[in-house]
Amino acid sequence: MAVLTIAEALRDGIREEMRRDPTVFCLGEDIGVAGGWGGAFTVTLGLADEFGHDRVLDTPISESGFCGVAIGAAMTGMRPIADVQYGDFLFCMMDQLANQAAKMTYMSGGTVKVPLVIRAPVGSTRRGAQHAQTLEVFFTHVPGLKVVAPSTAYDAKGLLKAAVRDDNPVLIFEHKLLYGSKGARSEKGAVMSAGEVPDEDYIVPIGAGAIRREGRDVTLVGKLLTVYRAIEAAERLAADGIDAEVIDPRSLVPLDRALILESVRKTGRLVVVEEDNQMHGWAAEIVALAAAEAFWWLDAPPVRVSAPDVPPPFAPVLEAEYVPSVERILAAVRALF
Amino acid sequence: MATEVLMPPLGTNVDTATLVIWYRREGDQVAAGEALFAVETDKATLDVEAPATGVLRAVSVAAGEEAPALTRIAWIATADENLPEDGTECTQGAARHAAQADAASDAQESATAAADRRFASPRARRAASEMGVDLRAVAGTGPSGSVVERDVLAAARTQERVPPATPLARRVAADAGVPLEALAGTGPGGRIQRGDVERAPAPAPGEAVESVPVTGVRAHIAERLGRSSRETAAVTLTAEADATAFARLRGEIVAEGLRASYNDLFLRLLARALREHPRLNASLVGDRIVALRRVDIALAVDTERGLLAPVLRGVDDLSLREIVKRSAALVDRARRGECPPEELSGGTFTLTNLGMYGIDAFTPIVNLPECAILGVGRIKQAPAVVDGRIEVRHRVWLSLTFDHRIVDGGPAARFLQRVVQLVEEPGRLLAGAPAGP
Repeated sequence: MAVLTIAEALRDGIREEMRRDPTVFCLGEDIGVAGGWGGAFTVTLGLADEFGHDRVLDTPISESGFCGVAIGAAMTGMRPIADVQYGDFLFCMMDQLANQAAKMTYMSGGTVKVPLVIRAPVGSTRRGAQHAQTLEVFFTHVPGLKVVAPSTAYDAKGLLKAAVRDDNPVLIFEHKLLYGSKGARSEKGAVMSAGEVPDEDYIVPIGAGAIRREGRDVTLVGKLLTVYRAIEAAERLAADGIDAEVIDPRSLVPLDRALILESVRKTGRLVVVEEDNQMHGWAAEIVALAAAEAFWWLDAPPVRVSAPDVPPPFAPVLEAEYVPSVERILAAVRALF
Repeated sequence: MATEVLMPPLGTNVDTATLVIWYRREGDQVAAGEALFAVETDKATLDVEAPATGVLRAVSVAAGEEAPALTRIAWIATADENLPEDGTECTQGAARHAAQADAASDAQESATAAADRRFASPRARRAASEMGVDLRAVAGTGPSGSVVERDVLAAARTQERVPPATPLARRVAADAGVPLEALAGTGPGGRIQRGDVERAPAPAPGEAVESVPVTGVRAHIAERLGRSSRETAAVTLTAEADATAFARLRGEIVAEGLRASYNDLFLRLLARALREHPRLNASLVGDRIVALRRVDIALAVDTERGLLAPVLRGVDDLSLREIVKRSAALVDRARRGECPPEELSGGTFTLTNLGMYGIDAFTPIVNLPECAILGVGRIKQAPAVVDGRIEVRHRVWLSLTFDHRIVDGGPAARFLQRVVQLVEEPGRLLAGAPAGP
C-alpha cells in the first residue's frame, strides 16, 4: 500500500493496464516526448521509457485528428487511452465524440464496440476562459458515453482501470488542483488529495458513488474539487450542530442514483455543489432527481451552489468569486434550516 | 423599499396573537431593532422589534385587536413612497419574517410566499399525515417561516389529533359552533357524522353576570385541560402523610438562611422519587410511551392572567439551593408574563399546591402530555396516633392524579407511597448532592 497523488495513481493504473494487455496504448500531444512533462500534468511521465513510442504515441496538435485515430483503433480491437491537454479542447473533437464514438454501438446494433478512454483535466486554475472550464456536463448529456470524475488517488486508479476494461467510450475528468503534480507542474491552490492506493490489482466499478462523510441533517453532493469544499463546509457546519452528509458520485454516467436518493430520504435536505456553470447543468440534474423521486422526504427546497453563468475569469480575484467557496456552501445550507 | 411589519409566529399552537400596544404611532420615524409593538399570545407577552428603519405607515391592526401570525399589520417605508397594494407585489410575509427573526440569515426570499398562506415542506406533510397532526395548527420554524419536519414532531407532542369526521359533519359543526373534539363519532371507524353533531346539546344561554371572550391564556387553559379531561384515563390517589419532620426540616433550612418553600422541598423530593419510578416520569408521544430519564417538573402557578405551568428543568441534577433560586426566578417570570414559550412546555411531571388556600385534598388534572401530577394540600396540625398515643402532628394530604393509559394503579400507588415516605423521613433529601442514583 503506497501513498500516491492522483497523477501518480493514474500513471500506475495506465502502466499496469499496458503491462496486462498489449492492446492498451496511449496517445496525445506531448505525452511521451523526451524531456517533456509527460502530458500537461505529468500523468504519462516515464511511460515511453518502459513501453516505447509505439505504445506512447505523440500526435500532431489536432484533437479532432487523434480522437478519430483513437476511435478507429478502438473499433478495430485496440484499447486506446487518449490524453487531452486541457478539457476545453474536447470541444475540438466534439463531432468525433458525440457523433461517432457515442453512437457506433447503437448504430451497429451492438456489433461494434468502442473501448476508448479519454482523459481530460478540468477546473479553474488561473488559466482563464479557454483552459479552465468545468465541462463534464456536456458529455453526460450524450447517450453512449460514460463519464467518471475521480477525486481521490484510490478512485483515480480504480476508475481508470475499470474504464480501460469497459467496452464503451469512457471520459475521465481530472481536476487540475487535485492532481498533486510536482515540480514545474505543481498548481497554486492545489488540494491535498494523495491517498493510499493498494499495490494489488483492483478496480472501482463505474456507477458506484461514495459517501465521504456521514450525516443526518443535510446531503451535500459534489464532484472533483467541490467534494473537498463540501467536506470542509460539513466540518464547519458540525460546529453549528448541523450534521452534513457528503456524497461523491465518482461516476457521473452512469450515476449512482440510489445512493443519492437514500441519503436525501434520510436527511430531507439537498445542496449540490458544482464548479460548472449553473444553467441546465449537472447540479440541476441531481436536484431534479431528488425532486422527482424523493419529494415527500424533502424538508426544504433542494438547491444548487454553482459557478455563475459566465466563462471562468482569468483574474485571480474574480476566479476566487467564480469557484464555489466554502462560505457559499455554508450560506446555502444554513438557509435551509 | 417598503418593508412589511408582520404579526410574528410565536410558537407551537399559536395561530393568532393580540396586539397589546403600539410603541410608535402611524407617521412616526422608527429605527430598525427598536421595540415597535407588543403582542400577547396564550402564553406570554412579548415585544417585537421594528424590521426596518423608516416611517411607520398603514397600520391596519390596532391595540387590542387580534391578528393571525405572519399577516401584515403595517408598513415601514419612506414618507412619500407608494405602498404596494394588498395582494400584489410585497406579500412575502413569511420570507420577511425569516429576515426579521434572523437578520444574519441570508435566506432567499420566496417570491411566491404569501402572508396568508402557510407553507409546509413535503417531509412535514408526510410526517403530519402519518402522525395525524393538523398542519394548520403548527407554527413553522423552517426557511421563510415554513413548517418543517421538526415542527410537526414538536406539535405531535402537544397537539391533539384531529378527530375523524366527515366533511359534512365538519361544516355543520363549524356552523353550529360545536367543537368536534367534544363529540363521540358513531360512523364507520368512529367517524363523526352529521347526526352526531346535530345531537350535541346546544349551549343554552342564561343570564350572564359577566361575559368574557375565551382568548389568550384562558383559551389555552381551556383547550389543554379540556383535552386532558377528555383524553386521559385519569385516576386520583390520595394519601395522608405525617409532615412533622418535613415541617421541622424546612424550619431549620430557613433558619440557616436559605428561604426554601415547601414547594422547593417537594421539587427536591419528587426529583428523587421520579428517578426511582420512571414510569411516572413519562409522556405519551403519538402511540408510544416514552419514559424520560431527565426530570423536568412543571410548577402550577396562579397568575393574574391565569394558570401557567412553567418548567424547572433538570431538577434531579439541582442542589436544593439551586432549586430555591431557580424556582423563585421562574415563578417570578411567570407572574410577570415574561416566560418565553419554550419555558411553558416540555415538562415531565407537574407539581401543584393549593395548601396556601387551606385546601386539604383535590383531584388535579394531568398536564398533557405528561403522565401524572401531584397535588399538595395544606400542612396543618392535627391529632394523630403515634405509638399508640394521640399526639399533635403536622399532617398533609397528597393527591396524585395519573393517566391510567400510561401507567397502572400499582406502580402509581408505589410512587405515592415513596413520596409519603420521603415526606415523613426527609432527612436524606439533603444528604449528598443531587438526588437519584
